Amino acid sequence: MSAIAVAKKDFQDAIQSRALWGLVVTFVVLSTITTYGYTEAPELFGSETAPTFGGLVFFLLTFTSLFVPIAAIVVGYKSLAGERELGSIKLLLSLPTTRREVFLGKVVGRAVVLSIGLAIGVLVGLLVGAVLIGGLDATALVAFLGLTILFVAAYTAIMVSISASTGSTTRATTLAIGFFVLFELVWDAVPLAVVYVVEGFSLPSEFPAWVFIVSQVSPSNAYLSGLYALLPDVAEALDASPEGADAGQGAEPFYQTPELGLFMLALWIAVPLVVGYASFTRADL
Amino acid sequence: MRSNSCLYSPLARLLAMAAIRCEGLTKHFGDVVAVDGLDLTVAEGEIFGFLGPNGAGKSTTIDILLDFVRPTSGSVTVLGHDAQVEGRAVRQRTGVLPDAYHVYDRLTGRQHVRFACEMKGATEDPIELLERTGVAEAADRKAGGYSKGMRQRLVLAMALVGEPDLLVLDEPSTGLDPNGAREMREIIQAENDRGATVFFSSHIMEQVEAVCDRVGIIDRGTLVAENSIDGLRDATETGETLFVSVPAVDASIVERVAAIDGVADVGVEDGRLRLAVGARSKFRVLEAIDGAVGPIEDFEVVESSLEDLFVRYTTDAQEVEA
Repeated sequence: MSAIAVAKKDFQDAIQSRALWGLVVTFVVLSTITTYGYTEAPELFGSETAPTFGGLVFFLLTFTSLFVPIAAIVVGYKSLAGERELGSIKLLLSLPTTRREVFLGKVVGRAVVLSIGLAIGVLVGLLVGAVLIGGLDATALVAFLGLTILFVAAYTAIMVSISASTGSTTRATTLAIGFFVLFELVWDAVPLAVVYVVEGFSLPSEFPAWVFIVSQVSPSNAYLSGLYALLPDVAEALDASPEGADAGQGAEPFYQTPELGLFMLALWIAVPLVVGYASFTRADL
Repeated sequence: MRSNSCLYSPLARLLAMAAIRCEGLTKHFGDVVAVDGLDLTVAEGEIFGFLGPNGAGKSTTIDILLDFVRPTSGSVTVLGHDAQVEGRAVRQRTGVLPDAYHVYDRLTGRQHVRFACEMKGATEDPIELLERTGVAEAADRKAGGYSKGMRQRLVLAMALVGEPDLLVLDEPSTGLDPNGAREMREIIQAENDRGATVFFSSHIMEQVEAVCDRVGIIDRGTLVAENSIDGLRDATETGETLFVSVPAVDASIVERVAAIDGVADVGVEDGRLRLAVGARSKFRVLEAIDGAVGPIEDFEVVESSLEDLFVRYTTDAQEVEA
């Protein structure tokens, strides 16, 4: 499998990116600070109950769900478009490999780089939290770390696929940022606005089922739901807290099928891979 | 069946195992026709020079051989494999020095070559290859800091990994000083002696003239000539060019000289008449000029360089099209 050799080379290359390490350091610092803040002064973060490790995990997720997309954009947007723009893709594809393996190697290499950076940040934050709280929930830690890596894989697949669709880094940047704005910033507002208009300019007490499904298309919403699915007990315990109410505002169905989030994350890996590969394999480099 | 004499004919060459065979190769980029029905055969074991002015379609052709670019129509076979379907098999046995490539700035020279070895399943020592191409002393520096010539040597080392059966070199002397260009030629020759077929493109004639067995000239996406260098000379009337100094050179004199039997392609260069001599003896022609336009002050016979042939082929093609 030359995809592994490509992934390895790509890893060696990307791991030396200053932008990436800047992000990782930022992430470690911020996750430690937020952890400290959450455990020492939970009331500042809207939590009335004593800090728990499970609560910390959910709290940290609101942070990683913003951080991962940004880091994935930084690490991924140039992965193939940049190689095409510069011409280093010609060195790569002069060797006995295929475009499919180059594409897969890129996704794997970048996902590993990003996962390592994120895992360091998450572990440092959670271990600091465990010391301050005086306890560690191993299930919550493993579930959160595993789910975060799945989220990283999905965002890497998305960004590498966007990069695979064009030979211009300018265009790749536009598409990557456009994706982020559409799916992370405005996505939740669109179905709400539609319901608001349909219901005669008022919000109903009960939202139609499709709103939930549509909302889960946003990768970070799916990520959050995924954690509910993996840690239902922790989520229930937090439900009483205002934090849980905040996260679940107008989203009663979250608790009905949070597994949808896991499914959506899997789709966000599969669909970009298919679309990205299809456009990369047809391209004139 | 053909007679035995065919053994030495172009047909025999076609029937021999071809390292590269393009048939009716056409590539359009939007409205632009980059390659236009190109037919080209490179036999195994030869050094083939692919010549053409910038924009003639050389790099596009090479990009199709390596499956960087997909042809609009036509077929390409490299080392017996369909270039579009079995690209990996092609590249397993091919060493490539592409055009307009870029190295990985953050990886060292050694990492580059090691990566090529890994991809090809070769067990060579990267340092030995880098020594051969003359950049071993920079092996552990990041390639981002290499000069253009060093990068060219690095990528040549990558191309030599695994003793390829075919070397495809796109403008190999780009960025090299004359000494580097000579070393490049020596490596090409050594690889050919080992048994490798070498296909390289250039717009620099002397490079091609020094090392190639055969030459193909491409212009506007079509092969306008394909032969050995001697064969190309023989095939055109520009085998030898005659420069003649006469007291005065003007349009009417050019016209009168052009009318002389056995004279072709008359022009004026540096105040002298420049003409090609066909079947007739040069001395007869000189006599005739002496008689027609007055006393000859001086003359010079120049064997045409490949450059003349090249200019002639490519400009003729343009005239035909115009």
